[in-house]
Amino acid sequence: METPDDVVDLRDITKSYRVGFRHARREAVSGLSLSVGPGQIFGLLGPNGAGKTTTLKVMLGLAFPDAGEGTVLGRPLGDREAHMRLGFLPESPYFYGFLTAEKALQLYGRLFGLDAEVLSERSARLLDLVGIPRESHLTLDKYSKGMLQRIGIAQALINDPELVIMDEPSSGLDPLGQKEIRDVLLGLREDGKTILLSSHQLSEVESICDSVSIIDSGRVVIEGSLSELLTEPGTTRITLRGGGEAAGAALAPLATNVRRDEGEIIMDVAADDAYRALEKASELGLGLVSVEPARRSLEDLFLEAVRGDGP
Amino acid sequence: MRNTLLIAGNVIKDAARKKLFYVVFLFGLAVLGLSPLLPTFDLGVRAQFLRDISISLTSLFGVVMAVVLSVNLIPGEVDMRTIYNILSKPVSRAQYLVGKYLGILGTLAIILSVMALEILILVGARLSLFTPVVLEGVLAVFLEAAVIAAFSLGLSTFASAPINVFATALFYLLCHVKTGFLHQKLMEGAGGLARVFMWVLYYLLPNLEDFNVSQQVGYGSGVTLSYALRIAGYSILFSAMFVFIGYLVFKRRDL
Repeated sequence: METPDDVVDLRDITKSYRVGFRHARREAVSGLSLSVGPGQIFGLLGPNGAGKTTTLKVMLGLAFPDAGEGTVLGRPLGDREAHMRLGFLPESPYFYGFLTAEKALQLYGRLFGLDAEVLSERSARLLDLVGIPRESHLTLDKYSKGMLQRIGIAQALINDPELVIMDEPSSGLDPLGQKEIRDVLLGLREDGKTILLSSHQLSEVESICDSVSIIDSGRVVIEGSLSELLTEPGTTRITLRGGGEAAGAALAPLATNVRRDEGEIIMDVAADDAYRALEKASELGLGLVSVEPARRSLEDLFLEAVRGDGP
Repeated sequence: MRNTLLIAGNVIKDAARKKLFYVVFLFGLAVLGLSPLLPTFDLGVRAQFLRDISISLTSLFGVVMAVVLSVNLIPGEVDMRTIYNILSKPVSRAQYLVGKYLGILGTLAIILSVMALEILILVGARLSLFTPVVLEGVLAVFLEAAVIAAFSLGLSTFASAPINVFATALFYLLCHVKTGFLHQKLMEGAGGLARVFMWVLYYLLPNLEDFNVSQQVGYGSGVTLSYALRIAGYSILFSAMFVFIGYLVFKRRDL
């Protein structure tokens, strides 16, 4: 449901491309609607070919929808005034190979009309942020994929944007780099920015996103706040320490699901049975680690959404 | 305008990185290589011959460079996806296309200026003659190359590089024969569809022979100011038309 404050608002977007020798039309996006509220990290998920990149291109005016309409930062799709206030990281970004990292940032910054002093300060800060030596004389055609990704992130932030759109921000990065980028994104959210990212990395999305839309075959199949989507209503998860197979078997009649993981028993019980389960655990001499609302993983949700698999 | 010029500057830097400016050395070598063929007549004939072949060579190099610079500029950026980093910024497609075109013109201007200098030096060294009239010839080559670059750039907004090269070569040929071959065929009264086709080609294509001033430069008389202004206007008109047609395609193209 869109609100007047939405940073991104797409309504019934349909986009098809001509493919193959006979130029038959293939729909990449079919009647897709999407709303992204301000100040959050929003994840756009979907299997390969689901229409994620096409959706981002439509938002940015890089592709034109066959039907539907929308706004970005309150402006029509592809509007230059909106582009002044947003940053974009394409998937596996490429740059003019003859530029150094600093020169590239200065080029992109000048396209926003930033003056030399601001640009110099900002490009130095961003290069530090993404871990690229600012005095490097290496031209970008000598950079590894991971380093180009870092430059891509820096250029997306050069105008201090209100909205950052990122297509696979962790692509090509090692685990340390992925962690650093997650921290950057969380820092941006703390600064009040809105981040819309498309990603295959479900663990990354689960750890940082506030809301998600899962799309499949060009349509939104699930959307909402991540905490609501992943919480299993009416189910409590109890984690216990100690015990063996026998303890697990004794608890099984009270639980909807019991499993052992690294010396712990993790059981999901109906909320009404939680006290009885805790009493039983106490009788069995098990230590209590935690009691919390049961959550399913984003992977389970994703598979359920795109394949109809239940957990 | 700022963004247009930034994009133009980048085209020139990219040409430098691709070592396209080295073509001026090739040109110098070609003129040097041909100069021993100078006839052993009097100084006037030798100067005429040297100026003539120099301008003809400049024209050849100018046209080839115009195609090389234009043909893959946009398809290359789309394939490499460098275009996303530009058009997701506050840069319109018109600014982008015009910036690219101005960058091509800037690169051509640099290359042709150096070639002009080489001709002046070579003619001066060989014949102890200062012949600034060659500058008029190089200017005409630049104006012709500008039209060809505009045609090729406009075409590159939707055509692949091989098709573009073929079509630009055909365009160049037709534009040079239109006053001769096409005009003759029209006068001979070819009928039906062929006549309509030839009529369209004859009246819509620029006459690139207008830019061929090698004879005037060869004789040393040069061209009048009014002629120079006329071909400059002609070049601007057709260049603007081809870039604009390219823009009409490009502004709705999915990237």
